Amino acid sequence: MREAPKSEFLVHDSKTCAGCGVCEVICSLYHEGVIGPALARSRIVRHPFTAEHIHETCQQCSSPSCYFACPLKDKAICIDQKNSTAYVDEDECTGCGMCVGACPFDPPRIKINVQKNVAFKCDLCKGREGGSICVKYCPFQALKIVSKDKR
Amino acid sequence: MVKSYGWAGKVLQVDLTNETIKKVPTGHYKPEEFVGGMGLNAKIFWELGCPKAGAFDPGNPLIISVGPLTGIYGPFGKGEVCSISPQCYPDELFTYSGFGGMFPAEMKYAGYDSIVILGKAEKAVYLSIHDENVEIKDATDLWGVDTFEAQKVLANGEPEASILVIGPAGENLSRIAVILNETKFAVGQGGFGGVMGSKNLKAIAVRGSGVVAVAKPDKVMELTKPIIEENKKMNWLRLMFRTPYTAPQETKDLFARKYFKKHYGCYGCPLQCHSIHYIPGIGLSGVSCGNWLWAPKFSIDPKEVWEANVLTQRLGINTFEGIIGLPFLLALSFEAGILTRKEIEKDIGLPTPKWLGGTATNHEFLTALLHKIADGNSPHSEGVARFTEYFRKKLASGEKLMDLYKELYTARGYAFHHVDNLGSALHWATDTRDPIDSCHDYKNPSNPEANEHFGLPPYDNYQIVNLSKTVYQGAERVAAWVEDNQCLKNSLPVCEFWSAIPSFYNPPKMDLRIFESSLLSAVIGLDIDADKLAQAGERIWNLRRAIMVKRENRTRENDTLNEPYFKKAITCLAGTATGLASGPINRAEFEALKDKYYDLRGWDVNTGWPTRAKLEELGLKDIADELASIRKLP
Repeated sequence: MREAPKSEFLVHDSKTCAGCGVCEVICSLYHEGVIGPALARSRIVRHPFTAEHIHETCQQCSSPSCYFACPLKDKAICIDQKNSTAYVDEDECTGCGMCVGACPFDPPRIKINVQKNVAFKCDLCKGREGGSICVKYCPFQALKIVSKDKR
Repeated sequence: MVKSYGWAGKVLQVDLTNETIKKVPTGHYKPEEFVGGMGLNAKIFWELGCPKAGAFDPGNPLIISVGPLTGIYGPFGKGEVCSISPQCYPDELFTYSGFGGMFPAEMKYAGYDSIVILGKAEKAVYLSIHDENVEIKDATDLWGVDTFEAQKVLANGEPEASILVIGPAGENLSRIAVILNETKFAVGQGGFGGVMGSKNLKAIAVRGSGVVAVAKPDKVMELTKPIIEENKKMNWLRLMFRTPYTAPQETKDLFARKYFKKHYGCYGCPLQCHSIHYIPGIGLSGVSCGNWLWAPKFSIDPKEVWEANVLTQRLGINTFEGIIGLPFLLALSFEAGILTRKEIEKDIGLPTPKWLGGTATNHEFLTALLHKIADGNSPHSEGVARFTEYFRKKLASGEKLMDLYKELYTARGYAFHHVDNLGSALHWATDTRDPIDSCHDYKNPSNPEANEHFGLPPYDNYQIVNLSKTVYQGAERVAAWVEDNQCLKNSLPVCEFWSAIPSFYNPPKMDLRIFESSLLSAVIGLDIDADKLAQAGERIWNLRRAIMVKRENRTRENDTLNEPYFKKAITCLAGTATGLASGPINRAEFEALKDKYYDLRGWDVNTGWPTRAKLEELGLKDIADELASIRKLP
């Protein structure tokens, strides 16, 4: 099996998550300069009648199908040298959608930004000082980054 | 096309009679002048000609708006509903109710700043909104289904939609029916659930896959970043609502320890000030400050209150009326010897529990009461005011019942709620409903800097707790300031709790509107400074006044409270969280205060009508012209 270097990953605690959506709002604002879960890299699926909310985000696969499916591998989807996540280079991405089809999760955790015609996915805010912004903003500490050795 | 920032850009108009759907650019309503929420609602209502329709007539528009800040990070997740209110008493007035939850942000992501519902559907329908795709769909199978179950059924066909729904109370035209989102976010006061019911509209399900652009994302990030730290300071509020805080200590402990499930709040807000509690076998819902108000007084088992609370939400009834106002009125009447057990059981038609002299369980009593409200064909469903009016004629002690009602209910059919100083009394007198839901400001220690800037006297309510001792000096300035600020809070919107408490939004060294105006400017990309924003608040208040004058023949005489407030000390609610002992207000001094208030407002002192000069100063020349044409311009 093809392997990429193991990366850290984001875990969610549905017991403490209030479903407030702060992670979605701040993600879309920080990365896209807009507000709305549609362009957030991670989604919260709310279940108001059980109060158990589900988090949908990239699992930072050890063998990232999106990366291997990309016709412009290592240009449009690359593996970050530092945190080992697969990330999208918007300047190179053509929005072909091969990565979306390759993602093993349902719904796919890599999506197409229709307006820009590029793919987008969670890369744990690579390069951001202070780490992933959703983790920083989550008011209930329901999100945390787990190190690669814990995989 | 010019890119719109902050506002979603469209107003959705749905006519249920003709089954037509229209989308109007929000720009048509000058949102930069009326902001959003309450201001936008009032502007839309004015443009519709301020219909004289009754609350349940098809001609009554139901208007739901969000503001330019709705959906961004922070305490801004609210929306505002305005319509002609069936709850207002004796006249049905155009009034408002804010609501939180998930729906406001979702409707914005779907592309709408406002949803205007006109007319009446032939049979039960619901409105399905999925971005551009808007459909009126059949809801005959959902009619009669409670709010929780209806949302669950709708979620099958509308996955991930946020839903506003009415319960049996709204369908059956109770005047105290709410519109509900999820298990506890209600469009509460006003009785707007009945307005939806009168239109045969069971629900509005909205799903938005769009985004809202902000003009200066980096600036918005920078301005809202301190909210992370501020939020920690607000934890006390979250802890307060973790328990039913007006309940006895042991009940509080029980709820915090055993039944607490999750914190809960509006979309995008880190505070999540409310809580979800769950009692096995009874169900899941949230608490607010009111649920337990009367229960400790009469030693009611916490589980029984909870059961009633959940049933209230399911049937779609206003908690403030259904499990606070009505039981309170009955209990106080019974205690005072105004009503006997026999009258309550026979004439009023309720089984009486121990505290009303009988042997029924509280469960039996509360369930019977709530079902009577929801069934729509008994005086109970008309709300406390009309309930009293009905039994006033029927019972020998009717007049005494009415007198007690007038103490408990301050004005226009709304229950006593912090009428604790002259400023708040004046605000109550000039509004169309209980204004305090969005004006806890009167309970705030005042901000010295803001006082100086706006020429306000100190109004620390914790020191001025009695209306007979309160200062008349400057109360008109306090009321005017809070009224304008209320309009802004309900239009931007900004959460009432955050902005009313000394915090980031009311820091000791800065007027709260400086922050709000900077944030608004960064979101919409227009330069709105604190004074310009303050003027927008004044503009909205004047527009609302113009609506009162045009539609409701509002004059100075109507700006008052029920008579007992001028005759005696109001002590019936002493010891509850909502009521400090107060009064009486000196009527002559109150009238003199009104003189000063109208003068400060730039309104005519004799009629209480806005003048042309004031309206034109606020850019409302068209409104002045219209008022002149109907001879209501002084």
